[in-house]
Amino acid sequence: MAGHGEKGRPSKKHKSSKEDHRNPTVDDEDAYYGEEFDEDNRDGEKEGKKRDFTKLELKPDHANRPLWACADGRIFLETFSPLYKQAYDFLIAIAEPVCRPESMHEYNLTPHSLYAAVSVGLETETIITVLNKLSKTKLPKEMIDFIHASTANYGKVKLVLKKNRYFVESPFPEVLKNLLRDDIISKARISSEGLHGTDSFTISKAIGEIEGGHDELLNGIELAAAAEEKETHAFEIDPAQVENVKQRCLPNALNYPMLEEYDFRNDTVNPDLNMELKPQAQPRPYQEKSLSKMFGNGRARSGIIVLPCGAGKSLVGVSAACRVRKSCLCLATNAVSVDQWAFQFKLWSTIRDDQICRFTSDSKERFRGNAGVVVTTYNMVAFGGKRSEESEKIIEEIRNREWGLLLMDEVHVVPAHMFRKVISITKSHCKLGLTATLVREDERITDLNFLIGPKLYEANWLDLVKGGFIANVQCAEVWCPMTKEFFAEYLKKENSKRKQALYVMNPNKFRACEFLIRFHEQQRGDKIIVFADNLFALTEYAMKLRKPMIYGATSHQERTRILYAFKHSPDVNTVFLSKVGDNSIDIPEANVIIQISSHAGSRRQEAQRLGRILRAKGKHQDRMAGGKEEYNAFFYSLVSTDTQEMYYSTKRQQFLIDQGYSFKIITSLPPPDSGADLSYSSRDEQLQLLNKVLNAGDDMVGLEQLEEDTDDIALQKARRTFGSMSAMSGAHGMVYMEYNNGKGKYPGQGQLKSKPKDPAKRHSLFKKRFG
Amino acid sequence: MPQVKIIAKNFMDMVAALPALKLDKLYDNTFICEAVLRSLPPLAKKYVLQMLYVDVPVTAKSMEEWVLADGFSKHRVAIDRLIQLRVFLESTDRKKETSYRLNPKFQGNLQKYLVHGGVLPRDPMSSSITVRLPTLEELESYALNQWECFLLQLISSGQAEKTTNFSSSMIEVFQRGLLSQRGKEAPRLTESGFQFLLMDTNAQLWYIIREYISNSEERRVDPADLISFLLELSFHATGQAYNITTLNEVQRSIIKDLADLGLVKLQQGRKESWFIPTKLATNLSVSLSDSSSRKQGFVVVETNFRLYAYSTSKLHCEILRLFARIEYQLPNLIVGAITKESLYSAFDNGITSEQASIISFLQQNAHPRVADRAAPAVPENVTDQIRLWETDLNRVEITPSHFYDDFPSKDVFEAACDYARENGGLLWEDSKRMRLVVKADIHGLMREYLQKK
Repeated sequence: MAGHGEKGRPSKKHKSSKEDHRNPTVDDEDAYYGEEFDEDNRDGEKEGKKRDFTKLELKPDHANRPLWACADGRIFLETFSPLYKQAYDFLIAIAEPVCRPESMHEYNLTPHSLYAAVSVGLETETIITVLNKLSKTKLPKEMIDFIHASTANYGKVKLVLKKNRYFVESPFPEVLKNLLRDDIISKARISSEGLHGTDSFTISKAIGEIEGGHDELLNGIELAAAAEEKETHAFEIDPAQVENVKQRCLPNALNYPMLEEYDFRNDTVNPDLNMELKPQAQPRPYQEKSLSKMFGNGRARSGIIVLPCGAGKSLVGVSAACRVRKSCLCLATNAVSVDQWAFQFKLWSTIRDDQICRFTSDSKERFRGNAGVVVTTYNMVAFGGKRSEESEKIIEEIRNREWGLLLMDEVHVVPAHMFRKVISITKSHCKLGLTATLVREDERITDLNFLIGPKLYEANWLDLVKGGFIANVQCAEVWCPMTKEFFAEYLKKENSKRKQALYVMNPNKFRACEFLIRFHEQQRGDKIIVFADNLFALTEYAMKLRKPMIYGATSHQERTRILYAFKHSPDVNTVFLSKVGDNSIDIPEANVIIQISSHAGSRRQEAQRLGRILRAKGKHQDRMAGGKEEYNAFFYSLVSTDTQEMYYSTKRQQFLIDQGYSFKIITSLPPPDSGADLSYSSRDEQLQLLNKVLNAGDDMVGLEQLEEDTDDIALQKARRTFGSMSAMSGAHGMVYMEYNNGKGKYPGQGQLKSKPKDPAKRHSLFKKRFG
Repeated sequence: MPQVKIIAKNFMDMVAALPALKLDKLYDNTFICEAVLRSLPPLAKKYVLQMLYVDVPVTAKSMEEWVLADGFSKHRVAIDRLIQLRVFLESTDRKKETSYRLNPKFQGNLQKYLVHGGVLPRDPMSSSITVRLPTLEELESYALNQWECFLLQLISSGQAEKTTNFSSSMIEVFQRGLLSQRGKEAPRLTESGFQFLLMDTNAQLWYIIREYISNSEERRVDPADLISFLLELSFHATGQAYNITTLNEVQRSIIKDLADLGLVKLQQGRKESWFIPTKLATNLSVSLSDSSSRKQGFVVVETNFRLYAYSTSKLHCEILRLFARIEYQLPNLIVGAITKESLYSAFDNGITSEQASIISFLQQNAHPRVADRAAPAVPENVTDQIRLWETDLNRVEITPSHFYDDFPSKDVFEAACDYARENGGLLWEDSKRMRLVVKADIHGLMREYLQKK
């Protein structure tokens, strides 16, 4: 790389150069987001190996079939095939999406994905038959074997709560016999009819899968077989032993992971909660689909639903609660989002005010009657220290109640140990996890898989954009060259701890930021969020530009006040947020994000931040493909060229790029003809700023540490093990690209206001390229 | 870089470069006269037809009177071309007045051709002897297959299933300029070589044919014979069988080479053997002017830099490998990724992102699915990025220079600095430690100056 004049930006696959960009501070960040393992694995595995599957036999009518399947589990799907929709629904059920841009999708078959497939009721043979139908080539034998091997144990055993008795259920009696050979399980068993005949199980008929997304792909006979009632065998176990039995069934023991289902309709012990969706709450097609995965066989399955931010996760959560119609415990990440969830429940459902309550450090409400909804935070439930008398009472109630539904928001952010604690404290019949990005920079996704359940549904971002359900975002990476003086300091060894402060405070970046804020406030009347992880920068920027800011130490009242002003006042159009704003703070008004500093290479953070502006605004038909508005939201990531930031920026964008987003690179901001009136235009001012940065205390220039982070770091340090992070996140597999940039045009979609391809009408910021 | 393209486009330049005697000999053949006529610019064609039955020289002056004022440059081009090809013979009389007449041989043959039509030296064989001939589709796929094999051998990829009968020295001749070898490394494609691969088949064919012709004398084959045979061949009917016995000895050796290139297919019956011209052969004279036949595109590039090529061709795979990382090869799909490294290795070979290179290759070969959409066939973020990566390479400029230190005094140092500055060669100075760097081209001057001191 040397000699290319390129210091900050090795591309992803370039391992040798990776080392160059590490320094003590950076190492810490890597430890926090242990993404490196994963990538190194990818490098090791895939680099250099060419996958030659040319010997696969093409079917004569291959042109009509939408996909190729490779022996290593990779699947390529043509999105322009007439069978695309069906194939997509099927693939998303059985495989992990790797990337989903415009024309060609890639998926990976993994044990986890197949586990999820089995758990939503797909059977091994169905998977193979449908896959074979869709494939242009004969299925590779390796793939068929892999499917058999992966599904051999998964999904065979269910833990069902019926009339408040726990049953271990399976259509395969031999599997149950197998389980009963285990001491713990056989001791946990309650024999209903005396002691004779340990071999006999309760036999019942279960309703076949009523949801039939893939019916059209199966012919009549196969369909009939699928719909036929299945005989299931079951034995009852002691409720006190449920956790132990579950433990024994995990992959590290007997390897028959249990699916949890809740037969809520036949639950007569827990009181019903009288609530319904309001008539105006019309779930969108993809929301319906995700719910149908959850309630496919008339029972409620535990699992995770993945929808992009702004796509209406809360409606899915509220709908699920309305179907179960039992007491519901809803967990959110912070107090602000607790308020928002409570609001959402009242907005979408007919729940009475006295049936829903919030439990936070500020508000300790209790519902009346024998059933209701409690909204609280993970921290409140998992808190181990001493509580006030009042909270102790409430938490006692939470512990003692049997919850029909445990609704968990933002499951990707919560540390695994917190999950364990929450799940062990609360008794629930069904758990539903909601998230926008199953990307975690660690391997904790695997935990989620067994703590909550398999991924039930994941929406395709690009399809939602095309459908007008989420905003069409123009993503841009703005390259800000370091000023000479800042760069000289940046390179000095003694400043290694201030590197971040130096590249974030780069006057050129400041000016670009100021320019963008002015442009969007004045020219377009937009509402802008500026994100900065670096507290020093956050304060400097916000003070200099005289804008309100929110960070970890900002009180709840202050936050609410600022957000209220941002929402309602025409004078407050820009707000500065530290990483407290990454999740959960719902700011539907904002449609522009400017990111001036960020947390190393976290793909999740990037996606979450983008999520802040994904809620679609304006009229629905304008946003649809071909509608009036090309872009209605803007995401700028400001990076100082030739610094580490470039390198991180590449990594960060990966998730979004895989979803089909593209980043356009802007190299000259502010435009050369303007900018004299912006701050730091003189060298003297710049030098003053430099002085300030250099003289700030070490503690000031670092990253903001939030409460939860300390947990995270400790946890992550302790668990620095190998393991591919999360096949489940869809991030498994190769790294495709270097970083990306670019116009982010999703072709075939509404282009510009009236006529596409007219450069004169381009958003004026994007006319100038290549400085 | 353009030299490859220009040469490949104007095969007739080569004809024009033949000595007068050889050229006149070529015009003995009616078909060559026609091929040459076809290759002419429109205005030149008109002149030829206008003068076809004029037996006396026409003065340049009177010809100029035919031309409108704004068409004069075209007129000039047409006349130059006609003279180059010796279709027009120029003569100057005593009054120094220039006049033109048609080359009599050319004129005679063309007149004959108009009246009687062309008669090939050989007729197709009857189907009773040849029994079953390949269909046109079979023939076309045969031709393309042969051509691909040849190209794979040419770029010595080791991917060719079978090798051609060309001698290694002949292959080396073809490789000249396309491949370069540094030391003991495997030969690598040069920039021209890369562009060669990106050209369409006809253009590539012409390039190879040109090399084949210019090398012919070493094989003791008269280039004129070769040219005339090739042009003649282009007037044969595609898919018909022609008896080998109608060929002379030289032509028989040529036809074997042509079979290797996929221009003809050789077949053997019970007693007789014959050759069947393919589309590549019959297109030879057609493609002289321009490559009109557009191949269907096959490449899809995504916003995430993934590249999907609908192709069964190993050659395509090799071409893509030049600038992309190939990850999966499926029966009819090649999956790859454009990465910074893959591009850098392409740039390293002198392949550029612009012009007849990577970006235009991707654009020209875009799959109809992406080519026909309103948005650019290759996502803008990808093309932007490719360009940015390329410009990134050019950020550091290297100037050969010399470093001076150990100055005896501040005065000498400063005087030296001034002197270097005056000569526009001062690159860097450090007055504290009395060191300076000057451009290499004023090093001599500097030395002289300092010695004088």
